[in-house]
Amino acid sequence: MIEIKNLSFKYKTNLALKDINLEIREGEAVALIGPNGSGKSTFLKLINGIVFGDSGSYVFYGQEITEKKLQDNKFSKLFHKSIGFVFQNSDAQLFCPSVYEEVAFGPRQMGMDDKEVDKRVRDCLKLLDIEKLKDREPYNLSGGEKRKVAIASVLSLNPEVLVLDEPMNGIDPKGKRFLRDLIIKLNKSGKTIICSTHDFEYVKGVFQRAVVFSEEHTILRDDAYDKVIEDEEFLIQNNIK
Amino acid sequence: MHIPDNYLSPSTCAAFGVVMIPVWKRTVAKVKKEITKKKMPMLGICSAFSFLIMMFNLPLPGGSTGHAVGAALIAILLGPYAATISVTIALVIQALFFSDGGILAIGANCFNMAFVMPFSAYYIYNFTRKMFRGKKGEKVAVLLAGYISLNLAAFCAAIEFGIQPILFKDATGAAMYCPYGLSAAIPSMVGSHLLVAGLIEAFVTLGVYSYVKKVDPNFIYQGSEVKSKPMYGLLIGMIVLCPIGLLATGTAWGEWAPEEVKDLVGFIPKGMEKGFNFNSIMPDYSMAGLSEAASYIISALAGVAIILIIFKILNSRRNRV
Amino acid sequence: MFEKDEYIPKEDKVKFIDKSILAFLNILSVMKRKTSLGNGYVYSLNPVVKLGFTILIIIFLSLSRNFLFIWTVNVYLFLLLASLNGEKIKDILKVSIIVPIFTLVILIPSILAGNKLNSMMMLSKILGTIIAINMVSYTTRWTHLTKALKLMHIPDIFILVFDITLKYIYILGEFSLEMLYALKLRSVGVNNKKYGSITGIIGSLFLKSKDMAEEMYSAMECRGFSGEYSSNIKFKYTFKDFIYCILNILIIVLYFYIGRM
Repeated sequence: MIEIKNLSFKYKTNLALKDINLEIREGEAVALIGPNGSGKSTFLKLINGIVFGDSGSYVFYGQEITEKKLQDNKFSKLFHKSIGFVFQNSDAQLFCPSVYEEVAFGPRQMGMDDKEVDKRVRDCLKLLDIEKLKDREPYNLSGGEKRKVAIASVLSLNPEVLVLDEPMNGIDPKGKRFLRDLIIKLNKSGKTIICSTHDFEYVKGVFQRAVVFSEEHTILRDDAYDKVIEDEEFLIQNNIK
Repeated sequence: MHIPDNYLSPSTCAAFGVVMIPVWKRTVAKVKKEITKKKMPMLGICSAFSFLIMMFNLPLPGGSTGHAVGAALIAILLGPYAATISVTIALVIQALFFSDGGILAIGANCFNMAFVMPFSAYYIYNFTRKMFRGKKGEKVAVLLAGYISLNLAAFCAAIEFGIQPILFKDATGAAMYCPYGLSAAIPSMVGSHLLVAGLIEAFVTLGVYSYVKKVDPNFIYQGSEVKSKPMYGLLIGMIVLCPIGLLATGTAWGEWAPEEVKDLVGFIPKGMEKGFNFNSIMPDYSMAGLSEAASYIISALAGVAIILIIFKILNSRRNRV
Repeated sequence: MFEKDEYIPKEDKVKFIDKSILAFLNILSVMKRKTSLGNGYVYSLNPVVKLGFTILIIIFLSLSRNFLFIWTVNVYLFLLLASLNGEKIKDILKVSIIVPIFTLVILIPSILAGNKLNSMMMLSKILGTIIAINMVSYTTRWTHLTKALKLMHIPDIFILVFDITLKYIYILGEFSLEMLYALKLRSVGVNNKKYGSITGIIGSLFLKSKDMAEEMYSAMECRGFSGEYSSNIKFKYTFKDFIYCILNILIIVLYFYIGRM
C-alpha cells in the first residue's frame, strides 16, 4: 500500500536519496538499516510528507502524495492521521504543556468530543504504562519517559502505519524490552510498522523484513530480516555492524 | 533596562499599555501573513531565544560583565515584526515568572525593548546598508543598528523615568514615583548605555550576525525594501513627542539645585555593576543650571548630532577609498 | 601529540563564563522546581482568581497614597506568605529582596535631599508588589498561569506559544549550558577572542533554535495541526476561592474607604 518509485531527493546540494524503489504492504513490519548518513531518516521524513522527492513518485493507499496535495488541509489531516511518525528527537515532538494534553492533541484536532478524547488518552497512557505522568510537563521527564509520551501521542491518532526513527536510542534495557513487546503487539493487531534502527540486540522477533540503505544513498538489499542479520560479512562490509 | 513596578505611575504604565495594543495587533497580523498560521508556534522558539540572549554575561574590560538585550539582533535576523512579538513574550515571562521587570510596567518595557529597539535597529540596518554597500558597509550597518537602537530604547526609558517627578507630585511637591527628573535620568541612563551597554549590544549583534551568516547565510530576514524616510521620521518623532509631557504640565523643575544634580548623576540605574564615573563627561551640561526643557532638548539634539557625525565620517572615509 | 605538555597558564579573567553558567543554572533550577508543589491554602487556589486578584492588588498598591492601606496589604501578603512551607518562604524572600534593596540604593540621594516619606512609600509598595507576584509564580504551575492569561484576551494560539516558549527556554537553556561548560573546560589560557566565544555560543543557539523550530513544526503537522488551537483546561472554583475573593474585595473597598478619609 506504500509504493515508492524511482524517488530521488537532494537536501540543498547534498544527495540524500538516489533512485529509491520500494513497496510495503499492509501489516508488514519492516526494519530500515544502514550506516549514518545513508538517508534512512530522510526516507522516513519523505514517507510522512515532511519532505518531498525531487523526482519519482510516492503513492500511499492509492493516493499520490505531493507537496501540492498536502496543502489541502482536509487531505493533509487525513494523511497524517493514517500514518504516525515518532521522531528521533523526542523533545521536538512534544509541545504541549502536560502529558495529558500532548496525547489529547491529536484526537482533539480530529474533532472528537471531550469524553471520547478522554477515553482515547487514558487508553494510550495505559498502553504505554505512563498513567502516573499524566499531569507532568513533558520537558521535565527522563529520555525514556519522553519517548513513551511521544509514542502515546502518536498512537492516540490510531494510525494504520506507524513509523519510528531509532526508537531505542537512549532507552535503558527495560525500556527497550517494553518497546519491543509493544511494537510486536501493535503489528499483530494489524498496524504496519516501519522502523529505522541500529540496535539489533533488542528487536528480536519484531521485523520480518529488512531494507538496507547503502552509503551511496540507495537501497542495497531488501530481504527477510533474519537472513540479513545473520549475514555477518555483509553487515561488516557495509558499515552496519 | 527592565523597569520595575512603582517607578512609573500607574497612569504612565496604562498609557504605554494602550500604545502597545495596536502595535501588538499589527505585528501579529503582519507575522501571520508572512509565516502561515501553521508556523506561528515557531514564535515560541524565537521568544525562548530572545529570553536566553538576555541571560548571557558578556565580558567588559576590567573584568566585570554586562548584558545585551538582543532585540536588534532578532530584528535583523527574523524581521522587526517577529522581533516585537518574541521580545514581548520574553519580557512578559521575565516579569511574570522571574520578577525581572514590573507587571504594570510591561507596556513601557515592551515599548522600549520590543518596539523602539527592534524597529529602529531594522531601519538603521537597512538604511546604512543602502548607503554603504559591500562587506564593510554590512558590518557597520549591524554595529550601528545594535548601538543606536539600544541607546534609543535607553533614551525612551530615561524619558519615562524623567517625566515622573514632573507629572506626578503630591501635595508637598515631592515626587510620588521615580524622583529623578530628566536632567538626571537622561544623562545617567543614556550616558551609561552610550558608553558601555551600547557597545556590548553592538558587538554581540555583529558577532552573532557574522557567525550565522558564515554558517547559514540564507537565514537572514529578507523583508521588503525599506524606505529611509521612516528613520528620519522616527528620530524627529522622538524629539517632538517628548516635550509634550513637559508642556502639558508647564511646571519648571525647581526643587533640585544644580549641585545635587551632579551627585545624582553618579548613581546609575539597573544594568551597571561597577560605578562608572560620568561626572567627568557631563558636568558642564548639568552644572550650568539649565532648565528642564533645555537640558532635555539638548540631549536629544546630542543624540541626533552623534548619529549624523558618524554617518558623515563614514561617508567621507568611503569617498576617500 | 603522544607526549606530555609542559604548560603554565597565564592569568585571564573568565568571570563572564562562570556568571553565565550561574545564570543559566538558576533558570533551569527554577523551572525544574515547579513540579513539586505543596499543600497549602495558596496552592489550591484557582490560578485565574489568584492571578487576577494579584494584579488588581498590584494596581491598587501602585495607586495608593496612604501608608495605612499599603501596610495593610503588605501584612495581608506576609500572612499569606507565612502560610507556605519554610523552604518556599525562603526561596520567595531570597528572590524578593533584590529589587527593594536595589531601589533603596538608587533612592539614597533622594532620601538625603529630604524626600524621605515618598521614598519609604515607594519602597513599601515595591516590597508588596514583588512578594505578591513571586507568591503567584512560586505556588502555581506555570502552564496554568499561561492559561490564566486568557483573562487578558490573549488569543488561544498565543497561550500555546507561551507554553512552547517556556519549554524551549528549558531545552535551549540546557543546550546553552552544555556549550558554556565546554567553553569553560577549554578556557585553559588566555582567550583573546572572548566575545568571539560567547557570540559563537549565541550563534549556535540561534541555529539550533531554528532547527528545532523546523522539527517542531513538522511534528505538529504530522499530528494534524493546521493553525487552530483551543486551550482546554477548565479550572475548578472552590470555597477557598470564594474566601480569597472576599478578602481581596475587602482590600479594594478599603482602598476607596481610606481614600475618602
